[in-house]
Amino acid sequence: MKEIFVLIEHRQGKIRDVTFEMLTGANKLATSIDGNVTAVVCGSDVGGYVEKVAGWAHKIIAIDDSKLKDFNADAYQQVLVSLIQAHKPYLTLIAQSGFGSDLAPSLAVELDYPLATDCYDLQVDGGALVALRQMYGGKVNARVFFNDSPGIICTVRAASFPPEESNLTAEVIKTDSPLTEEMAYRQFVEYVEAAVGDVDITQADILVGVGRGIKDKDNIPMVQELADALGGVLACSRPIVDAGWLAKDRQVGSSGRTVKPKLYLAIGISGAFQHTAGMKAAETIIAVNKDGNAPIFGIADYGIVGDLMKVVPALKEKIKALKAS
Amino acid sequence: MDMIVCIKRVPDTAESDVKIDSSGRDIDHEGLAFTVNEADNYALEEALLIKEKLGGTVTLITMGGRESDDTIRMGLAKGADTAIRLDDPAFAESDGAATAKIIASAIKELQYDLILTGCMASDNGFTQVGPALAEILSIPHAAMVTKTELKENKVRASRELEGGLLEVLDIDLPAVLTIQTGINEPRYASIMGIAKASKKEIALKSMGDLGLNENEVGQKGSKTRIDKLSLPVQDKIAELIPGTPEEASEKLSGILKERGLV
Amino acid sequence: MAVEGAVLCKELALFECIQCGRCTGGCPVSLRSALNPRKLVYEALLNTRFVPVEKAEIWECTTCATCAERCPKNIRPVDVILALRSDIIESGRVKPAVRDALESTFMHGNPWGRAREKRIEWIGDAKVPILEEGSETDLLYYVGCAASYDPRIQNLAKGMIKILQGAGIKYAILGNAESCCANEMNELGEKGLFEMAQEKNLETLAKYQFPLMMTTSPHCYHAFLNDYPQQKFEVLHYTQLFSRLIREEKLVFTGELPKKVTYHDPCFLGKRNKVFDEPRHVLQSLPGIDYLEMDRSRERSLCCEGGGGRMWMESESTEERLAEIRVKDAVAMGAEIIAVSCPFCLLTLEDAVKTSGNEGKIEIRDIVELVSDLVE
Repeated sequence: MKEIFVLIEHRQGKIRDVTFEMLTGANKLATSIDGNVTAVVCGSDVGGYVEKVAGWAHKIIAIDDSKLKDFNADAYQQVLVSLIQAHKPYLTLIAQSGFGSDLAPSLAVELDYPLATDCYDLQVDGGALVALRQMYGGKVNARVFFNDSPGIICTVRAASFPPEESNLTAEVIKTDSPLTEEMAYRQFVEYVEAAVGDVDITQADILVGVGRGIKDKDNIPMVQELADALGGVLACSRPIVDAGWLAKDRQVGSSGRTVKPKLYLAIGISGAFQHTAGMKAAETIIAVNKDGNAPIFGIADYGIVGDLMKVVPALKEKIKALKAS
Repeated sequence: MDMIVCIKRVPDTAESDVKIDSSGRDIDHEGLAFTVNEADNYALEEALLIKEKLGGTVTLITMGGRESDDTIRMGLAKGADTAIRLDDPAFAESDGAATAKIIASAIKELQYDLILTGCMASDNGFTQVGPALAEILSIPHAAMVTKTELKENKVRASRELEGGLLEVLDIDLPAVLTIQTGINEPRYASIMGIAKASKKEIALKSMGDLGLNENEVGQKGSKTRIDKLSLPVQDKIAELIPGTPEEASEKLSGILKERGLV
Repeated sequence: MAVEGAVLCKELALFECIQCGRCTGGCPVSLRSALNPRKLVYEALLNTRFVPVEKAEIWECTTCATCAERCPKNIRPVDVILALRSDIIESGRVKPAVRDALESTFMHGNPWGRAREKRIEWIGDAKVPILEEGSETDLLYYVGCAASYDPRIQNLAKGMIKILQGAGIKYAILGNAESCCANEMNELGEKGLFEMAQEKNLETLAKYQFPLMMTTSPHCYHAFLNDYPQQKFEVLHYTQLFSRLIREEKLVFTGELPKKVTYHDPCFLGKRNKVFDEPRHVLQSLPGIDYLEMDRSRERSLCCEGGGGRMWMESESTEERLAEIRVKDAVAMGAEIIAVSCPFCLLTLEDAVKTSGNEGKIEIRDIVELVSDLVE
């Protein structure tokens, strides 16, 4: 019986969605490898977390320790090393997130286990685990194989496995925390919420997102005009914020906001994962991009392959004309 | 403040069409322009800003062949003081952990207060080397850093979490920070500046120089291996609206109207 | 970083300056910014230690070189500005858009961040001869980065090939082997990049045989004519070729352009290289045209503020843009079209038509477009 550990990711008292996605992926994989899924719940006052994941795993290892209340890579690493050495799971899944990317690589080195990061699928090939991940900004898929090892670690990309509860009733195993002292060399200070600007893009029904394809800050007003014509709000991808062309509160994506508008119009956005993670759930997605091979066309409902400098003004005019009639 | 910055030369694939090469384990580099990895460029700038404020030195470390010298010279031109290039045919196809081991072997001989790396390499997207490096060197680390504030023997680092939330930590030095894009505005390295930097010596270290053997590096030293790259197939493809911008916009606005969005 | 006034005086022979102020008097940008060429020379004469990063106004300069034109002592105040710019370039502290344009030129052979292999995308299905290494042609059409990549300016390239083919000229382009002339990089003060581009371009051009190079842009024209050290080929701006073809009766117009058309002299064609007559000859040859001459024309043309690297820089000034003044003046004199012969003038003036609220009242068209409309 192969055991698959899934590290439950919680933040500010709530379990993050990626946790349930990972549990779903783990259960799916478990059927191919004769495995069981163990949710690893670490935190302070974990009862609530345990309840939430009870239907998603065969077993829950629960560690309650005030030192684990907020994520701390070093503390969590110590705990996981102790648990993994004790239970020797075949595979440990951690989210590819702000927390996970801080933890998994150093954990893998301490255990001397192979690590594949940002995996979007896990398969079995000839009895061996294969992790699927992307390279070159999503332009290439890669299959990663692992050398023989007492265990494997994978970090899992968000939104890779649509969550499906498993109708299990997990056996809860309360375990003592192996932590003995405060991590003096790494101290949590505080969380700082993203500044709320004058715009809350998560509330808008219609969003017009602008990406690197806009090329020049001076072209953004043209897109704003389209947004105005549609009665929508201007949003953007990360590079636009990095360049200082729009404020952070307009950023859609894994390091920005997640939005679920009725309409998301992606202008000059290639569709790299970091952005689409934040808007995939929009009801209708329309993309305008010069490059017919841009990944955005894989999630959009409709697309125009063309020059946004021509399409955006033309579309604005058509919308205005429609509204006037 | 003695700092080490790990930089990597990567292809610029943002606008290019990529092709899988004959080995099936990497893309074809023919015709691609190369540059410093974006996140590493931000890491370098952060180190230079810290040096300008607090004094100290910046040492560049790159694992790569002779073509990486261009990238190193860019860094030296911007203000880095010294550079070390780790080069050995045996290093090829090292995975993230093996890469970290190689870099750690070069670093452990050096005096340093702070190590900065980019949070992710745009070619392999591993996000792995920084924290792995810290573990090997037995020093603390923080990944995805968007703000640094040096204090007495510590650095206050703000880490970027999902949804724009920042996690603020105080970390004892020496430490490894992996730097996220957008933390600062990188400066420009002029061509004349890069040419002048060519006069600075780049120390070369081979596998033997680093005290490593071939079972610790490259494919042999890696516990993961990439097999069979492929181009993603869009299984769901958007319905493409044909025609000139005028015609396509006309049709699209019609579709939006039908869906009650206009 | 700093620049010693004394060094500038020596290198640029500034001691001849009599502080007459004709330079500033003619500087178009001094109308709307703190840029004062005379004062900069004055400070150099006083052996000031310039701290260029503190002189934001040096980035307002469009390097039209009116100051140098007007100086009775043949001093070039524009070179003082370029020296200060170079100092900032070497320090690396340039604005991000400028940085990106420079890095893009280095990496991709164009300042627009576009991939080298997409340089000939503008061709589409058209049949355009691309010169192979070792081959020859009569005319090398140097398309330029704006015409290759900017959707508005690609029309110019398409019009150009229609005209060349129609005139039966044996021509070719370099295709993806063409790389930025880097004139604007030179004007931004990045001398090292300019020299590097020069070297590479001459190396490339040596692989082909052609007696004549023709450019879309006056900036490429200026660079190849004046700065590129070569004796192999003649360099013409397209208006000069068209003028020649009209005289040789190789350009035959069908149809008319019954409009009031004025002409805006681009600084890099006009002021800097004294090409004033040929573009006018071409325009005035168009059947039906009612040609109007602007008051500020030829040497007195009002700079559109597109040159000198300004395509990548926001002006700090809140005063009315020169391009807007230009548009308003043209509208006031009754012109329906402002004809231009430079991609940067085209883009900045078209922008100014919108920002000055004159959309629908006047059009900006390049001469190649007007000619292309009237030839088979």
